[in-house]
Amino acid sequence: MHIWGLREMLLEVEGLEIRYGRVPAVRDLTFGIAEGEFVCFVGPNGVGKSTTTLAVAGVVQPAKGSIRFDGHPLAGTLIETIVSKGIALVPEGRRIFGRMSVRENLVVASGVRGGLGRKRAVLDRILELFPILRQRFESPAGFLSGGEQQQLAIARALLTEPKLLVVDEPSLGLAPKYVELVYETFSRIRSEGVTLLIVEQSVRRALKYADRICFMQSGRIVLEGNTPDLAQRTDLELVYFGEGKRD
Amino acid sequence: MISQSLKLLFPGLGLIAILVFAAVVVLFIGSGELEGILTEALIYMIMVIALSIFVGNSGVISFGHVTFALVGAYASAWQTCCSSIRGVFMPGLPEFILHADVPVVLAVLTAALIAAVVAVLAGLIIMRLSSVAASIALLSLLFVFKTIYENWGSLTAGQSSVVGLPVYVNLWVALIWVALTITVAQTYMRSAHGLRLRAAREDEVAARAAGIVVWRERLIAFVISAFFFRYRWRFVRAFPGNTGCKHVLAQHDFPHVGNACRWGLRSLTGAVIGALAVASIRGVLRAFEQGVQIGGGRCRSHRGCRRLHLLSFFY
Repeated sequence: MHIWGLREMLLEVEGLEIRYGRVPAVRDLTFGIAEGEFVCFVGPNGVGKSTTTLAVAGVVQPAKGSIRFDGHPLAGTLIETIVSKGIALVPEGRRIFGRMSVRENLVVASGVRGGLGRKRAVLDRILELFPILRQRFESPAGFLSGGEQQQLAIARALLTEPKLLVVDEPSLGLAPKYVELVYETFSRIRSEGVTLLIVEQSVRRALKYADRICFMQSGRIVLEGNTPDLAQRTDLELVYFGEGKRD
Repeated sequence: MISQSLKLLFPGLGLIAILVFAAVVVLFIGSGELEGILTEALIYMIMVIALSIFVGNSGVISFGHVTFALVGAYASAWQTCCSSIRGVFMPGLPEFILHADVPVVLAVLTAALIAAVVAVLAGLIIMRLSSVAASIALLSLLFVFKTIYENWGSLTAGQSSVVGLPVYVNLWVALIWVALTITVAQTYMRSAHGLRLRAAREDEVAARAAGIVVWRERLIAFVISAFFFRYRWRFVRAFPGNTGCKHVLAQHDFPHVGNACRWGLRSLTGAVIGALAVASIRGVLRAFEQGVQIGGGRCRSHRGCRRLHLLSFFY
């Protein structure tokens, strides 16, 4: 495992470039996430945050650069293989299986690791995190509220027992009470040793929950720092809208 | 608890009960024509339900399943047909098959297993393709096998029909196989494998992000489906005691394949009712071709009007 600064890195991204046709969405992106860290990627729409998460999860393949997870390169690896290596993605828009019940949504994801007993234990632990899902266990997932669907999407990802959980815009379209609930859950998941990479548009929320924040502009990280340090700065709004400078 | 268990048994148990009831009613009426229509419907039902195991759960349309019927039909014929003159029809058969006299049920199971093996080999490649590409590849598979079987005269008698096959399908035999196919289809649909495949049909990227290996799940459904796709039953029914490449891809089978793709795409009940409806329409039209007594007169339609049931394919 490589050493990035002084900490061991779980995820290392170097010189990443992703193109949609001829249009570059992410350019020369380099960052690392240490084991157990809670990192937020922040920025307005269209700056490459979601594309970065899709590349990490193997949904899109980079044109250049490398992604290493737990010391192993991920280039050309299939999505499902990446899941089995320990990266779980909760994509934007939740993408639950709406025609299936909550139980069935969870069953489909529970075949990744371990035998029946272990799966049952993992499911029980996850249902403790999301008690509403236990109440709606046999309800069609498509009938759940947005907040409940988001919890289901996160629960489904957690059933694969990831080392790194990647969540794309978990607060999108959610009532404020659900947003708080979802982020409280992230804190609890993190306390169990899961590393978190969250894409978020709200700087305030990122400052409240994350250890480290990466501000993105035009496919690049323009500012990166620990939350306590960034909280002292007064120019975050300018950085967010692309007018600030990287330290 | 009891209601939960009963819920698990439906709709499969309900469908089987309805079909048993229909069979009893038909036998009670004692009409040979009705018995024929119901037996034919049941034979088609096996085909439609088997196809819906793959098509209904994966969303991949397959006109190529007839390949497995072809493979299965000949594999069965090699074991059961006319042992005294088998060498005349198919002189290229290995010695141990040439003089074998295999019991029909064992031959049917062996033939289904051979079809399943072909499905494994073909599926290992085809199931990795995207859904439209997989559909085209499956149809191509059918044409490849049909061409080989039509031209490998020493093993298949080429364009000729293989005659002298034992006839053993009746209403009850067909009903038992329908019940078995429904049970397997329902068990599969409710299994983790069935759920994973339906999840992939709904949203492939989300399914893969949940750790589902889509091609593997498709392959499992494909092989089960190939095993139960019992086309040969139709030969036995419609062309008693013979089989041949020319009977494959018969035009009146397409409504059933279409039915499996359309009505069987989302539910087992749809597949069963669809097969029953198509076979009934065909039966009624055939009856009119032969002449039906209505009131004091006899109503008779032009020959070939049974082909009108092909329209149900487009519905």
